[in-house]
Amino acid sequence: MTGAILVELRKQLFRLRTYLAIGAMIAIPVIITLSLEFGRQPRHPREQTFFVVATHSGLNVPLAALVATSTFLLVIVVALFAGAAISEESNWGSLRYLLVRPVSRSRLLATKLAVACALSFIAAVVIPVSGLIAGTFFFGWHEVLTPDFTVFSQSEALGRIALATLYVAWCMTGVIALAFMISTMTDTTLGSVAGSLGLVIISQVMNAIDSLGNNRTFLITHYWRAWEQLFQYPTETTDMVNGFLLQIPYVVVFLALAWWWFHRRDILT
Amino acid sequence: MTVTPATANDVDAIALRNLSKRFHEGRLPSFGHTDEGVLAVDDLSLDVREGQIFGLIGPNGAGKTTVLRMLLGLVHPTQGASYIFGEKMHPGSKVLRRVGTLVETPGFVPHMSGMENLKSFWLAGGDSWKDANIGPALEIAGLGTAIDRKVRTYSKGMQQRLALAQVLLNRPQLLVLDEPTVGLDPGEMRDVRDLIRRLGQEGSTIFLSSHILAELELVCTHAAVMAKGKLVASGTVEELIGGRQSVYVEVDDVERALRVLQATPGVIRAEPEPPGVAVALDGIARNEIVAALVHAGVGVETVSTRRRLEDAFLGMMEGEDA
Repeated sequence: MTGAILVELRKQLFRLRTYLAIGAMIAIPVIITLSLEFGRQPRHPREQTFFVVATHSGLNVPLAALVATSTFLLVIVVALFAGAAISEESNWGSLRYLLVRPVSRSRLLATKLAVACALSFIAAVVIPVSGLIAGTFFFGWHEVLTPDFTVFSQSEALGRIALATLYVAWCMTGVIALAFMISTMTDTTLGSVAGSLGLVIISQVMNAIDSLGNNRTFLITHYWRAWEQLFQYPTETTDMVNGFLLQIPYVVVFLALAWWWFHRRDILT
Repeated sequence: MTVTPATANDVDAIALRNLSKRFHEGRLPSFGHTDEGVLAVDDLSLDVREGQIFGLIGPNGAGKTTVLRMLLGLVHPTQGASYIFGEKMHPGSKVLRRVGTLVETPGFVPHMSGMENLKSFWLAGGDSWKDANIGPALEIAGLGTAIDRKVRTYSKGMQQRLALAQVLLNRPQLLVLDEPTVGLDPGEMRDVRDLIRRLGQEGSTIFLSSHILAELELVCTHAAVMAKGKLVASGTVEELIGGRQSVYVEVDDVERALRVLQATPGVIRAEPEPPGVAVALDGIARNEIVAALVHAGVGVETVSTRRRLEDAFLGMMEGEDA
C-alpha cells in the first residue's frame, strides 16, 4: 500500500502542473510582502486588517497570506489536485490499466485520495512558510501585532500560526472529498474542478446573505475564517471546533458516494 | 515453458457463462418512456482452453470490447459470469496477476517516460520491480533510448509497442488483447503477429479480438464470431471456414472461363473481376478447376487464394441479416 502511494505521489509531484500550483502558493506571500514593502501604506487606515498590521513583523505576513489565499486560491489548487485524481487517468486512458491489475478499486481510490490530501496539505503549508521567510527578511523577527492590537510573543505566535494552518488545511477536506467524488463520475478534470468550485461559490454566496441567519452554520464554507479568532483577545475557539466538526459529515457523505459510485461504475474509457 | 497438448485441452483458461450486458442511457424514466437501454452482449457463453490462440471476430459494435471488458472486471455484467483459470472474475481479481492485457488503445501518463510508465504500472499492482520481466518486454518494445523520453512525444505506433511491453511484464499465462495491431504499420503488424505466434508456441493462451480477419486467420487456432451481441459461431478456424474457399484466377478469356466454371460441379459461384474470375469453391480442389479451365482452352495466368475467413464471416453475417 505504501509502495503504491509513493508511486502515485511521484507521478503527481514531479509534473509542471504541481510545480505551478505549489509555486503560486509560495509566490503569493512573497508578492504580498513586496507590495507592502514598496507600496504606500495609508497613514490612517479606515479599518485594521491583517494587511494593515502585516508590516509590523515578519510573523504577521503568514496571517495576511492565509487571509488572501485560504478562501479562494488555495481552494482552486485543492480542487485541482482532488478533482483530477480519477478523471485525469480516465482521460489518459490509463484508468483501465490501473484496474486490470490484481488490486481492488477501493485500494486505488484510497491511494489516489491519500496523494490528493498530501499535495493539498503541502499547498496549504507552503503559504505561511513562504510568508514567514519573506516577511522576516523585510520586516524582521518581532512580536506579532494583531488587528485588535493584541500582542503575541514570537513563540506564542508561531504556535498559533501552526494551529491556524492546520485548521485551514483541515477545512479543505470537505472540498477534497467533493472534488474527489465528482472526479470518479466524470472523464474531464475541468468538470470536477469547476463542479466543486461552483458548489463552494454557492456556499460562499449563501453565507453572505444575512437573512439566512443561523441556517448558514451548515454551509461548508461558513467557518473557514474561524482561525482568525486565534489572533483576538480573548481568544475564542468555539467556531473553530464547530468548523472542525462540520467538515466530517461532508467528508463522510462525499467519500461514501464516491466509493459507491466507483464500485458500480463500468469502465468504458 | 511448454504445455503438452494432453493437459492443454483439459483446463479452461477462459469460461464465459451466459454473459449479458445492457447499457442504460442514464436518462430518468418518465411517463410513457422507460429506459430499456441497449443490449450490447446477449447471453454469451464461450470456452477458451489453455494453449489456444482464440480470435473473437465481429463487425464494429458487435460487443467484442464489452465482452473483453467484462472478462477483465472493468464492466459489470448484467447477467452471467466469467471465469479465468477457474476463478470467478470480479474487479481486481487476484488471478489478474497471471493475465496480460491490452484494452483498445494504450493508456499512459503523458508526462512520464516510457520506462517510468512501465514501472508505475507494475508497482501500482503491488509487485516488486525486480520480479518484472523487464528485459524481454523492452526487447519487444524495441524503443531503444526513446524508452527514457516522455510518452507525450511518442507516435501512436511507439505507444502501441510500449503497451505490448507492458502486457509482457508479468510473464502472462493468458493474454487478453483487444485489437492489438490497431495503429501499426504493416511491418509492425507482422512483428505483433510473430510475437503472438511465438507466445502461443511457448504455451501462453491468447484471447484476442480484431476486425481484420485476414490477420486473425494468420495467427489463430480457434475463433468465435459475434454479431449484435450474440455468438454466431465458434470452433477451430478450419471448422469455421469449412470446405469452402475462394480463389482468384487470372485468365486470358474471362467470358469463356465463366462459362466453363459455372458448368463445373463444386463451384458455388463464379464472378467476373477482370482480368480474372473470383470463384467460390466447396469440395473441389484448386488444381481441379485449373485443369478444367486449361482443358477448355482457357489460358491461366495466376491462381491465388482469397481471404477465406473473411468469406466465411461475410457468409455468416448475410445469414444474420436475413
